[in-house]
Amino acid sequence: MYSPAERPERRSGRLIWVWTVFVIVVIYLPVLCGFLASLNKSRYFLFPIRTYSLDWWQRTVESIEIAQLVKTSLLMAGIVTVVAVGIAFFGALAYARYDWRGRKTYQKIVLLPIFFPQPVLGLALLLWFNALGMQMSWKTAVFAHLVWIVPVVTLVMAIQMYSFDPALEEAAYDLGASRTQVLREVTLPILWPGIWSGGLFAFLLSWGNFPLSLYTTGADTAVPEWLYSKMVAGYTPMVPALGSMATIAAAVLMVVGGSVATVLRRRRAA
Amino acid sequence: MNSQPSVVRPDPGRTEARPPVLRVAALVKAFGSARAVDRIDLDVQAGEFLTIVGPSGCGKTTLLRMLAGLEVPSSGDILLNGARINDLPPNKRPTCMVFQSLALFPHRSVGENIAFPLKVRSVKPAIRTARALDLMKLMRLPADYFSRNVMKCSGGERQRVALARAFAYDPEILFFDEPLSALDYKLKKSLEKELKDIHKETGKTFVYITHSLEEAMVMSDRIAVMNEGRIVQIGTPADIYTRPVNRFVAEFMGEVNIFPVRRRAGVVYDGTDFPGQFKVSAAASAEGYVIVRPEFMRILSRRDEAENVIEASLYNSYSLGSRTQYRLTAGDKALIVEQSRAADLSSAGDARVLVGWNAADALFVGD
Amino acid sequence: MRTLSVGARCSLPVYALLVLGFIAPLLTVVAYSFATPRSFDAFRSFTFDNYRVIFDPANTVWMSFAWSLALAALVVAILTIVAYPIAYGLARTFGRWSSLISLFFVFPLFVSENIRLYGWVLFFIKGGVLDGSLKSLGLGGGPDVLFTFGATLFGMVYVYLPFMLFPITLGLSTVPRDLVEAGRDMGASRFQIWREIELPLAMPGILIGMLLTFVLAVGAVAEAKVLGGQSIIVITHDIEIAFTYAQNWPLGSALSVLLMIIVGALSMLGIGRLDLDRILGRR
Repeated sequence: MYSPAERPERRSGRLIWVWTVFVIVVIYLPVLCGFLASLNKSRYFLFPIRTYSLDWWQRTVESIEIAQLVKTSLLMAGIVTVVAVGIAFFGALAYARYDWRGRKTYQKIVLLPIFFPQPVLGLALLLWFNALGMQMSWKTAVFAHLVWIVPVVTLVMAIQMYSFDPALEEAAYDLGASRTQVLREVTLPILWPGIWSGGLFAFLLSWGNFPLSLYTTGADTAVPEWLYSKMVAGYTPMVPALGSMATIAAAVLMVVGGSVATVLRRRRAA
Repeated sequence: MNSQPSVVRPDPGRTEARPPVLRVAALVKAFGSARAVDRIDLDVQAGEFLTIVGPSGCGKTTLLRMLAGLEVPSSGDILLNGARINDLPPNKRPTCMVFQSLALFPHRSVGENIAFPLKVRSVKPAIRTARALDLMKLMRLPADYFSRNVMKCSGGERQRVALARAFAYDPEILFFDEPLSALDYKLKKSLEKELKDIHKETGKTFVYITHSLEEAMVMSDRIAVMNEGRIVQIGTPADIYTRPVNRFVAEFMGEVNIFPVRRRAGVVYDGTDFPGQFKVSAAASAEGYVIVRPEFMRILSRRDEAENVIEASLYNSYSLGSRTQYRLTAGDKALIVEQSRAADLSSAGDARVLVGWNAADALFVGD
Repeated sequence: MRTLSVGARCSLPVYALLVLGFIAPLLTVVAYSFATPRSFDAFRSFTFDNYRVIFDPANTVWMSFAWSLALAALVVAILTIVAYPIAYGLARTFGRWSSLISLFFVFPLFVSENIRLYGWVLFFIKGGVLDGSLKSLGLGGGPDVLFTFGATLFGMVYVYLPFMLFPITLGLSTVPRDLVEAGRDMGASRFQIWREIELPLAMPGILIGMLLTFVLAVGAVAEAKVLGGQSIIVITHDIEIAFTYAQNWPLGSALSVLLMIIVGALSMLGIGRLDLDRILGRR
């Protein structure tokens, strides 16, 4: 069926598929384990599970303590998203859209927080906030999240902006639009899918962030932190239950948000 | 025909009594130490179709962008109806540009694109729609395209939308930045003629830039040839074609035969890289180039006579439809002749023939 | 006109954030590293004592560094081999499935690593998924791998896979397909094409992936804590202890500074050579 030249191609192609699927299974295996552990009726985890039950899920949903955690995490993620998109939008314009003298240096500096281990950044911020005499709370954690997330979102948006034709803005300007009209009628609508993707990234990265939250939330607690403290001491199946719920929430958001982004992009482009 | 002075002919536009709608005086645009536009003086008459042609990098796009307001001149003046507009931003100038990429808004429909200049001037929606439909009719776009997304239109249709949009608020001057360069041959040819028709129908001033002199010849009232930031020659298409001011302009028109010559006596010149004598029709400078267009050279049959004759051997021939192009070699020199098929030319290689032309059909340029 | 250009003005918010949230904290850490040990007077004292403590061969605090560097190096080596075929698949083999498969690899970034690592605890622990399944099948118990160096290494490989994968994918995707076809047309074998054409052209992406993975892995701590138990103390854990339990901010800062020098030097080396416009797709 295949020519001799193609046969090694097919074989290596098949190997690549097998390897990739294997790695994907390995990646999601612990997620599955967590899910199973949350369905265990008894408090202690023993496999194979004797009785399956949704008791712990129910208890998680009803728990006031956990409701507070979720509220904190959502609040943080929400604020991080709004602020990150605002800052990163302009950051991405500076990155990809305009030519200016320090641009190359700027592009590299923006990468630095990404090429930096988050726990160390979190600890440095801990020191910094303490040195400033600041009380640590979810607000300082929001700031910590921003330091890492804004560069990532800037990159995500910059990638979209690279394909923006500057002639569109020039044409609008030439046809009589004022600068604000150009922004409102041409620039923002066309860049909107990129903004949406950036916001989605910001929210999800904040929602799932552990190292920065751990060191900078102070008295407040976000979902990942609480899970960690319970893993160390005081395990109940509520831990994997909440963990699974957080994972499912992230997955749903990613799929829904991603679909919206794809639809938006298809409507704008040729 | 007549003498060919080796200086830029005085621009016929300047000698007329009507003031120009657009005047460019000593315009310079420098990027660092390089000058993209190097002191340009230009007058554009109201209602004319002026094309600026030149090779890539000659500065024509920079010049156009300065006229449109998208670039700031380094020095010099741009005057619109006598008023200096150097500092006027593009959205305040009564001019409109059609961009090379057309710059149609991909997130808007045909109608919304065309009505855009009116929308940003707060014209009421009903009036905007009516005007957009009028323009669509002018540009021969079917009315039901109004709500169609621009990116779903064909290349030619998008051109028309871009044009309609540029006309929407009735600018005094329209600028065109090589809008046809990306189109295939057939579409380009038909759009060239359409553009000329629209120019005639609307009576607006068009300033057009292109690298293709052929395109310019079809559409323009006047052509300005640009090279290295300067205007080399301005004139009607006929002027440029029959009286090029120098070698660059002559060669810009396509393949020509060039003979560097030095005067021997009177109207007889010696070739400097080619043995032979050339007769020109009027005494010009002592040194220069004799330029003969391929269509004025012909392969002489036995009884033909010509004032200038060269012996050459046939290298290859190329059919151009109704005419044939012959390439011949005379010593080191390559000659190009275009004519209807030579009857008694044997196709055997090395056929020795005589090529001739009349002095009146040759051009003489000084540099 | 001495005002800033549009582009420069747009960069100001990001710069402000980075100065306040990245540069300033790091400088504070540097300042604290020169303070009197166990004190909090960062800008009032200046001493090299903290560094002396670290480099004193009698102390074992340098061991954490050694562990972290060794782990990071191993992680990079292992992940380069693990990720490359997948990256190749994403860039070439998977065709229209690429986007969907990428999603599977991106998604873990949105789930905090402690949740994922704990899943492995549930898998490997005595009575856990592996042990329990094997026992119920009558195959004896599961291996006792938790709370070892191996477990930590495995955890790190697991967590940092995306950071190796995506740069390599980006690097491979910049190799034009027709170069490969031209190579084949000229008679090169599959291996030769890979070695002479694809590998060199994708090398910038591969190097960036290795760099990113290394600098992130060297500062990692969750894996050593969750999966490694306390079998190894990595450098970030030592820093954390110094900042919290031991209340010895200067020592923690000195350790951080050394780590930052390693991370910073490598990052700037790698990032400095990048042409970001070309990589990220400028027209």
